[in-house]
Amino acid sequence: MNAPLSRNWDSLRQSRRRRLERAAGLGLGKAIPAERIIDLLEAVIQPGDRVCLEGNNQKQADFLAESLADCDPARINQLQMVQSVLALPSHVDLFERGLANRLDFSFSGPQGARLAKLVQEQRIEIGAIHTYLELFGRYFMDLTPNVALIAAQAADADGNLYLGPNTEDTPAIVEATAFKGGIVIAQVNERLDKLPRVDVPADWVDFTVLAPKPNYIEPLFTRDPAQITEVQVLMAMMAIKGIYAEYGVTRLNHGIGFDTAAIELLLPTYAADLGLKGKICTHWALNPHPTLIPAIESGFVESVHCFGSEVGMDAYISARSDVFFTGADGSMRSNRAFSQTAGLYACDMFIGSTLQMDLAGNSSTATLGRITGFGGAPNMGSDPHGRRHASPAWLKAGREAAGPNAIRGRKLVVQMVETFREHMAPVFVEELDAWKLQKMMGAELPPIMIYGDDVSHIVTEEGIANLLLCRSPEEREQAIRGVAGFTPVGMARDKAMVENLRDRGIIRRAEDLGIDPRQATRDLLAARSVKDLVRWSGGLYAPPSRFRNW
Amino acid sequence: MIPSLASRHSWFEATARARLAGLLDPGSFAEILPPAESQPSPHLAMLDLPGAFDDGVVVCYGQLEKKPIFAIAQEGQFMGGAVGEIHGAKIVGLLRRAVQEKPAAVLFLIDSGGVRLHEANAGLIAISEIMRAVLDARAAGVPVIALVGGSCGAFGGMGIVAKLCSAIIISEEGRLALSGPEVIETVAGVEEFDAKDRALVWRVTGGKHRYLMGDCAELVEDDIPAFRTGVAKLLAGWQEAAPGLAQLRASQQVLENRLAAYATYRDGLQVWAALGIARPDSVPLLDRDSLVALKEGLPT
Repeated sequence: MNAPLSRNWDSLRQSRRRRLERAAGLGLGKAIPAERIIDLLEAVIQPGDRVCLEGNNQKQADFLAESLADCDPARINQLQMVQSVLALPSHVDLFERGLANRLDFSFSGPQGARLAKLVQEQRIEIGAIHTYLELFGRYFMDLTPNVALIAAQAADADGNLYLGPNTEDTPAIVEATAFKGGIVIAQVNERLDKLPRVDVPADWVDFTVLAPKPNYIEPLFTRDPAQITEVQVLMAMMAIKGIYAEYGVTRLNHGIGFDTAAIELLLPTYAADLGLKGKICTHWALNPHPTLIPAIESGFVESVHCFGSEVGMDAYISARSDVFFTGADGSMRSNRAFSQTAGLYACDMFIGSTLQMDLAGNSSTATLGRITGFGGAPNMGSDPHGRRHASPAWLKAGREAAGPNAIRGRKLVVQMVETFREHMAPVFVEELDAWKLQKMMGAELPPIMIYGDDVSHIVTEEGIANLLLCRSPEEREQAIRGVAGFTPVGMARDKAMVENLRDRGIIRRAEDLGIDPRQATRDLLAARSVKDLVRWSGGLYAPPSRFRNW
Repeated sequence: MIPSLASRHSWFEATARARLAGLLDPGSFAEILPPAESQPSPHLAMLDLPGAFDDGVVVCYGQLEKKPIFAIAQEGQFMGGAVGEIHGAKIVGLLRRAVQEKPAAVLFLIDSGGVRLHEANAGLIAISEIMRAVLDARAAGVPVIALVGGSCGAFGGMGIVAKLCSAIIISEEGRLALSGPEVIETVAGVEEFDAKDRALVWRVTGGKHRYLMGDCAELVEDDIPAFRTGVAKLLAGWQEAAPGLAQLRASQQVLENRLAAYATYRDGLQVWAALGIARPDSVPLLDRDSLVALKEGLPT
């Protein structure tokens, strides 16, 4: 028998050492001047590297992204990008300029159309479209970055980082990279002698660079109450009375649309009048939605853990540290991975919106000609089937689905949609666009956001369909048609069967819930403008200028 | 908890009829030319534009704290409350009847950009007739109170009508001026006035500015009951001297002084600073009570 080939067991560490030596050889220390960032990137990044470019639906390492895109493709190429969000033009430039050729991501938002074009031209190879949590998981399995380019608020002389309220994905990225022989480079908005707090210790960080401009943050979760319609108020009343109150939902996550913003603004008025204060909506996994301020100020809310922060909310959050998770320095620490975990295993309900839903309840926001992905929604909008603790809402839902002897409960997954969206496009359809998209992309599966078998309720202006109580696919289909209103899918309903479902409480109209649609006016909203929100906050909320009319 | 924020009935967002329902004593609303008797505009019909059975204005009898009241309510959600021929005739008719019947007041719920351009001269004539009728009612001893807080404000000819009334009650959301922001931008260019800058529009035409300038008798919350309380308060001690030459000259002097002091300013912020307000930038966020207190503390 031949002697085994001697194996090198620390190749990652050796590779790391060589990269750091190359940087040192260029005279680069730990603090990098902005004008030498390209020298650094070209020194420490190698062709074929797996590179994580931090960016999500809010915070973006935009300076590092632009700098990487400006590197010489002769020196850096064949990169495999792993990143939460493909949002900036520079992200796509990496592929168009030949620096990178493979992408694993979760959400592409505004670049969705450009991305689809690159895929069709075969200039980009998509590994997979993930959810946030799933991608974080793969950072620790088979997609560990060689180099992570991250964004922080501030660095001190040693390289300790303060992440500010928008902590978000950074801890997950840095941990995976720093402990597997990778290089961590942080762009910072400022250098401080003393940080408010240390979010990332210096020995996990190799280089810091002071960005010429503060990193971009998108105010993604600000909904102007002035744009909430009376139809949305009606749907919010039905959801509160027919779901929140009936199941006693205390721990939950909301989507980001106007539908759920309406619910938040009805808590201090309509829900309080129903005597629900303290009985619903006490604990949240939620970004700091400005529209939650009136409910917080009214004493509805005990706790909110956040995925990220929201522009303008920092002073308010600091002043409400009983409610939000804040450091000893007073500022918030968010954490996307932990908040997603809370959404999966500690919440009893997710409620959000979608663009299309089929007759099995499958839904998707994917539209033709764009490759977008879904961020965190597929995790939040799912019932994790593994074992978990019991709660009244979870048990009630489980027993509705499987009878009184059910051995497990169910998380409530509620889809809240108007039957028609803008331009009179019906939300309810026979077949999702996702199937055509699958063919166009040559993907293994259609891009479905939330699977129908996870959906427990559908709320439309026509009423609530409780899918837990349906006992056959036919009943499920008719329950969906029964709340689909005047869409072609709704018009094709079997009237007798829908009336039967209504008699059994599977479909409930507003009047079945004791709600008079004429009461659904905007006067029920605790705030009707962004200015009202500022007043509720006692002047602590500072909305971005595009939301101000003063 | 801020109960005043949680339980308001917005005047700004309400329809003309909802405003009247909340303003007058319950059950006292009696519409003149109710839906079955009124008629839509013949001019709009000729242009194939949809009309409204009341032509965008409600005229009625009613009571407020048991006092007999006449009321006019423009519907801003129909053609921006613009004044056409029938719309104007209903208003003029009610004001003329007030001269004969002498109610405690005529309440004029203004929500209008001015003349309905589709009706051209008929609309212009209607506005001038309204002006004369307002002055006739006042001369007959009937106060005409303008209530300004709708989404269309009081602009163009209706801005002038508002200033001809005995008194104006305005909310922060209300706006009052002659040329509307879009008109100024169209005629004089965006450099002169950026109509999309909503904050600027309110700083120059909005209720708080008008109240600080002394153009309005009362500033009230954007709340239907607050307008009702405001009217009741105003009427409780109502006294109006008959207009005389000396009084007109004094008013003219006030306007000339204002022009001399502020003509070069571009923004309400500058005017407020000149009025002696220490932190003009805080004004837009002040609530109604704080702003009233601020005005009372200003040097006169």
